[in-house]
Amino acid sequence: MQPIQLFDLASRQAEWLSVRQQVVAGNIANANTPKFRAKDVTPFEAVLSNQSVGLARTNPSHLSGMDMDTGGVGVEEAPLAQEIGVQESGNTVGLESELTKTGEIQRQYGLNTALVSSFNRMMMMVVGK
Amino acid sequence: MDPLTAAMKVAGSGLEAQSTRLRIVSENIANARSTGDTPGASPYRRKTVTFGAELDHTNNLTTVGVKKVGQDQGKFVEEYDPDSPAADTRGYVKMPNVNVLVEMADMREANRSYEANLQTIKQSRDLINSTIDLLKS
Repeated sequence: MQPIQLFDLASRQAEWLSVRQQVVAGNIANANTPKFRAKDVTPFEAVLSNQSVGLARTNPSHLSGMDMDTGGVGVEEAPLAQEIGVQESGNTVGLESELTKTGEIQRQYGLNTALVSSFNRMMMMVVGK
Repeated sequence: MDPLTAAMKVAGSGLEAQSTRLRIVSENIANARSTGDTPGASPYRRKTVTFGAELDHTNNLTTVGVKKVGQDQGKFVEEYDPDSPAADTRGYVKMPNVNVLVEMADMREANRSYEANLQTIKQSRDLINSTIDLLKS
């Protein structure tokens, strides 16, 4: 019998989405910080195939490539999101694009939890409850 | 700390930083006409806020904080008002280097960033709630 993959997949996506929400929150909080570069997470496909590449820490005193506790999800510098590119202060956060991202995250998270609950219902139907 | 709680914490630090900025803006506007009280004395000098990314080492988070409250080194504008106690021998009074229009623009931007942070907190809370709702069905 094939193992049931869906719950594992769903929990990995939920984890990826919440890390992304954390990264976006960091961008929004630093929307007015001089020289701050906007960040984003690596795509979920890369997480699925375990291709997340980070800088190796060969010495404990090195700053880690990702300064957040991301649980295996890579964080990289985001491509320039706005037409004017880098602002006068050296900041690259576009507030609108970040808010679009949070909307996207919320939608995907809603889909994710809805799928999990309906799958759970289907399994409960099998055991007759 | 799980990423969603961390997101709320980061957005909270953003709220705090932006409200400090609003406070400084209101100090500047309130003191837009504060002159000195002795002849030739310097008036109120405009304050500026600089934000900086901070690393929270206990939770490994990048939050934001007010790095420095500085002073605008711009020139004071002189106004002719010989009756004022701050007037120098020529009758001119130094006025603060506060431009109310600039302060208004700064206030609008702080407001907008504050709302964006608030939105992040609300959405993170919604995400947490939809996870909890899985248990309820």
